[in-house]
Amino acid sequence: MIAHQVSIFLENKPGRLEKVTAVLKATDINIRAMTLSTSSAGWGILNLLVDHPETACQKLSQAGHPAVLREIVVVSMKDRPGALHDMLSLLAQAGLNIQNAYGTVLGDNKEAILIIDVENADHVQKVFESAGVQTLRAEDVYRI
Amino acid sequence: MYWKPEIEILPQPQLHILQAQRLQDTLSRAANSPYYGELFRRQGIAPEIIKSVDDIRRLPFTTKEDLRNNFPYGFLTVPKQGAVRLHCSSGTTGNPTVIFHDNHDLSSWADLVARSLYCAGLRDTDVFQNICGYGLFTGGLGFQYGAERLGALVIPAAAGNTRRQIKLMQDFGTTAVHTIPSYLFRLHSAFQEMGLDPRKDTNLKLFVIGAEPHTDAQRRRIEELFGVRAFNSYGLSEMNGPGVAFECEYQNGLHVWEDAFLTEIIDPDTLQPVPDGEEGELVFTTLDRHAMPLLRYRTRDLTRFLTGDCPCGRTHRRLDRISGRTDDMFIIKGCNVFPMQIEKVLMRYTEVSTDYLIELETVDGNDDITVKVELQKEWFTGNIEALEKLSRRIANEVRDEILVSPNVRLVEPGSLPKTEGKAVRVIDSRIP
Repeated sequence: MIAHQVSIFLENKPGRLEKVTAVLKATDINIRAMTLSTSSAGWGILNLLVDHPETACQKLSQAGHPAVLREIVVVSMKDRPGALHDMLSLLAQAGLNIQNAYGTVLGDNKEAILIIDVENADHVQKVFESAGVQTLRAEDVYRI
Repeated sequence: MYWKPEIEILPQPQLHILQAQRLQDTLSRAANSPYYGELFRRQGIAPEIIKSVDDIRRLPFTTKEDLRNNFPYGFLTVPKQGAVRLHCSSGTTGNPTVIFHDNHDLSSWADLVARSLYCAGLRDTDVFQNICGYGLFTGGLGFQYGAERLGALVIPAAAGNTRRQIKLMQDFGTTAVHTIPSYLFRLHSAFQEMGLDPRKDTNLKLFVIGAEPHTDAQRRRIEELFGVRAFNSYGLSEMNGPGVAFECEYQNGLHVWEDAFLTEIIDPDTLQPVPDGEEGELVFTTLDRHAMPLLRYRTRDLTRFLTGDCPCGRTHRRLDRISGRTDDMFIIKGCNVFPMQIEKVLMRYTEVSTDYLIELETVDGNDDITVKVELQKEWFTGNIEALEKLSRRIANEVRDEILVSPNVRLVEPGSLPKTEGKAVRVIDSRIP
């Protein structure tokens, strides 16, 4: 099953991010990783990897936020120099463009994960699999 | 002293007689247009009802909506072939306001502009650089023909390309410039960037500024920066364009040319005249226009008559600076903009809601317009490129509509004031 992140449209203004985290806190949602990309036009998109994306998205939407679930591909790698490069080389060779990507180091400091937001998650997953790279199943992603 | 002394210092009582005669003539002509012809028949209006200028109050008002509803030829008093030029307002949504002129009208317009420029101090020895849009905008051709009529050497420089403007000033020893006030600040920065001081490195002595609201403090600042006297010009395309009211050497209000424009100031609610000196809406009746006379045209501009005589000796009354509008029109970079024009563009986009806010600011001395619009929740996909593309598409369409490039800022749903009631659509925080 393809994993999902929650993407939220936010104005680049004091207190906006805090409104989102307030909803997550009230719903007992735990954030695993996040990135915030801002445009020059005064707004940004917050991408969240959470333990319960469907609930998070629904609650945020109910609170009035433009929020959607976006498919992601999550791969784990050794926490060592060059690991990310090897991973990205595979995508570059396949001519795939990344919309957004972010990573986090796991608790034991031996493993890291890369979260990739691409238009065609299915296809990317296959690219990794054929190269022998293990992608994480959705339930494992949410359990990180 | 005067361009046309027999008119400019004509005592008010005689001016009134002239106005009454011309008003009668104007009514006879207006009756030939489909719009006024029908209206006069319905309301029993004939030139004979005008015995004195005060009888103007027996005539109906004309509004911008009337012009739009009778677009394009409803106000023409002559066959289309008799007109030789038209000017019209910007905009692609709805009907523009279009004004037609025949050769008589163009000649008398040129004469009014010549009179205005002469009143501000322009002479036939001057080199006059006209820095404003030509084409449909009336400031270009209006000042061109007026300054030519006066006998000045005119440089039809048009708008933009600041360094080239400076080069023209230096090459031809420009002594006088017409432009919008905000442009002069940009021009001054360009002088500085080029290591030039306009006070020493040019022959400039006179500016004519208008088409954009500005304060007296702003004018004084311009005068100080350039070491030049700046004179206020007032006009509107419905009344030809420039050459309606102009400042004289005393810079104490704008003499409105009462032989050509019967001028009233009314209470916009009761439509009754306000006492002299009190603020109200400016209303004009053309007294010397043949192809397309307009009766009691409501300008929506707010101002007042200044009382007392002017030391220059001109008998034509003086108007104060325009203090505001009775509608929501605003002026940016010399362009008249109604929020409705922007709203109509936004309505074509299902991705955004109909709530919007227009913010006007001064950025680096220039007017800046930002349109804030709410993103529709349902449309959001999380794709940053799609949002940027949406902003660009809206910005381009708004620019095509209002002729000024806006910043388009997408905001969160529900974060703007609601449309119900009298929502504030425009926040103008420009530095005067």
